[in-house]
Amino acid sequence: MKCVIGGTHLRVFGRAVHAMARVSDEFCFDPIDKGLALRSVNSSRSAYAYVFFSSMFFQHYCCTAAPQPCQKEKQLSLACKLIIKSVLPIFRCVNMLERHVEKCNIYTNAKDHHITFQLLCRNGIVKTHNLAFQECDPLQAVFAKHLCPNVLRAHSRLLADIMVHFPTSQEEVTLSVTPTRVCFKSYTEENTDFPKTMVTEIQLNPDEFDFFQVGVDSEVTFCLRELRGLLAFSEATSVSVSIHFDTPGKPVAFSIEDVVLEASFILATLSDSRSEMASQEPACFSQMQESSKTCTDKSIDKDGGAEAAASKKPRWNRQAQNTVSGAPASPLAKQVRSIPTVSYRDTAGTGGTAVTKADDRAVLEAESPYHKFHSLFFGAVSFKEDATSHTFHSLATASDTEEDFGKTQSSQVL
Amino acid sequence: MRFRAKIVDLACLNHFSRVINTIAKLAKTCTLRLTVNKLYFILSDRVANGGVSMWCELCQGNFFDEFQMEGVAADHNEIYLELMPENLSRALKTAQNAKAVKIKLTNKHSPCLKVAVELPSLSSSSRIVTHDIPVRVIPRRLWNDFREPVVPDFDVSIYLPVLKTMKSIVERMKNLSNYIVIEANLSGEMNLKIETDVVSVTTHFKDLGNPPWASEDGCQSSAQGRDLQSMAEVRIDIKKLQQLLVGQQVNPTKALCTGLVP
Repeated sequence: MKCVIGGTHLRVFGRAVHAMARVSDEFCFDPIDKGLALRSVNSSRSAYAYVFFSSMFFQHYCCTAAPQPCQKEKQLSLACKLIIKSVLPIFRCVNMLERHVEKCNIYTNAKDHHITFQLLCRNGIVKTHNLAFQECDPLQAVFAKHLCPNVLRAHSRLLADIMVHFPTSQEEVTLSVTPTRVCFKSYTEENTDFPKTMVTEIQLNPDEFDFFQVGVDSEVTFCLRELRGLLAFSEATSVSVSIHFDTPGKPVAFSIEDVVLEASFILATLSDSRSEMASQEPACFSQMQESSKTCTDKSIDKDGGAEAAASKKPRWNRQAQNTVSGAPASPLAKQVRSIPTVSYRDTAGTGGTAVTKADDRAVLEAESPYHKFHSLFFGAVSFKEDATSHTFHSLATASDTEEDFGKTQSSQVL
Repeated sequence: MRFRAKIVDLACLNHFSRVINTIAKLAKTCTLRLTVNKLYFILSDRVANGGVSMWCELCQGNFFDEFQMEGVAADHNEIYLELMPENLSRALKTAQNAKAVKIKLTNKHSPCLKVAVELPSLSSSSRIVTHDIPVRVIPRRLWNDFREPVVPDFDVSIYLPVLKTMKSIVERMKNLSNYIVIEANLSGEMNLKIETDVVSVTTHFKDLGNPPWASEDGCQSSAQGRDLQSMAEVRIDIKKLQQLLVGQQVNPTKALCTGLVP
């Protein structure tokens, strides 16, 4: 893979790397023939970041390695897993980048697993950074944006103006919508009888949004810290941000789309704990899981009706739920310990064995009864994957498997 | 017990915010005393440890367009609240272009100072940002702890030089020593001195002026009849002095330093 980023776009690219850094310590550099994708997943699998730069973003982009004579197929570059701490210093002062750096060459050497970032600066200075990478099968969150009843769209400036009111240490934020009102409120797990932290709430008129659609009154709580990365990135691109969400428990997607790039941050949301029954969780999962012919023991629980009704109640009765006082960690951090690795498909290596759903359910029921962030369901992205996973919109529909669409039959969507 | 106040003027809001920022830098928690005409920010229990003790008195008319206060009882028409000034500072930080800021004492689940900021927006209705700052109501039996400190008997009282200058000097001296000696006399001269084994540095200020103190019951007796040139010196922890100077965001017309030599 080889690509060249021109000076003006470096700032955008740098901000994308910073946004990835907010989510996890490592990220995946995934070159595909249409462009370059950056993906990152946090350790508790509750946040997924994806930025895709189309080949038009680059001054030059080429992702195929020279084919070996014995290989029949074109050898696409493999995805590289990189440690954020190694890459961040290269793009440290994003605002300075534009002024000092004329262009940036990035190329990978698959044989010795090295990736090189070469910054060609003014006055003939060339800074070369060689980093080792690990091959990885990039994960991709499977999330049907078009099925979300609630969609908001606003310029990134508006969202930045809203988030500025929350202290930088604020972990979680609740977004609640009704057809006439939008409200962002800081979320705290504290006992409300003796609060110690300040609670901030911002109320807006739906007029302020470029697009406002509320299909179901809802209150979703998500991690603000991870989102701030996307907000900073979208300010650099000055593109509108779309928010797609549903009832509490289902993920919320923040995405931006431009001619040359697109980005999505999918964050898990806190589910309303009163509606957490054993039958509840499979329903949530089934909404997110890809259907697969191999997973026959899935009982796709059409409990959608009950779930929607339970989570439609707009206000939680926090006092009833907070049975533990003084919980220092955010609910997200708590879940790092108890949430199991969500089942994901890794078809490239092992041939498509998915973890059975029965296992997931058993593990989830053993968890503590507190608020839970539902993990996102992930599928591995691999150009060898069959198209059963792409029968509904996934994030990278334009990516590698497009040529496979015609070949395989579509499977039953849940 | 009720309290509601409103600030509409941006300059007043800015000034009030800067006062709060100064206080927030000095103390993690402090006491807010509300009376019919004044607000007081008090920090009283640090003197024994050699830290900063503070008494800040604000006239409500200088800041608020509306101010209504009903105290705990008719004969004790005051409210004492304990809060973290950092919260108030943060709430006001992003309110600098507000149309109005309303502060209200509420008690929904627990006592809170609710700061509601009305911000201009492009749409028909304004954006409203509310901050609920948790407070603790201080019971009447503890009110005696927060009496106004009396200016103690002193040897010398002098106006300070421009605080910004003093701050940068003290900051550099902080790297060299833990204690600083301030000496001043009644002729408007002041020296800041540090002395270590390897180095001693003195900065001299002159023509600072000495405030006139009307003698009340002869409590300035130790300053009367004092030789005008003779320096009184005190030695204090330089970090505490630095903390005081760093927090100053309000440009005072006068800053006084009074020293008593034991």
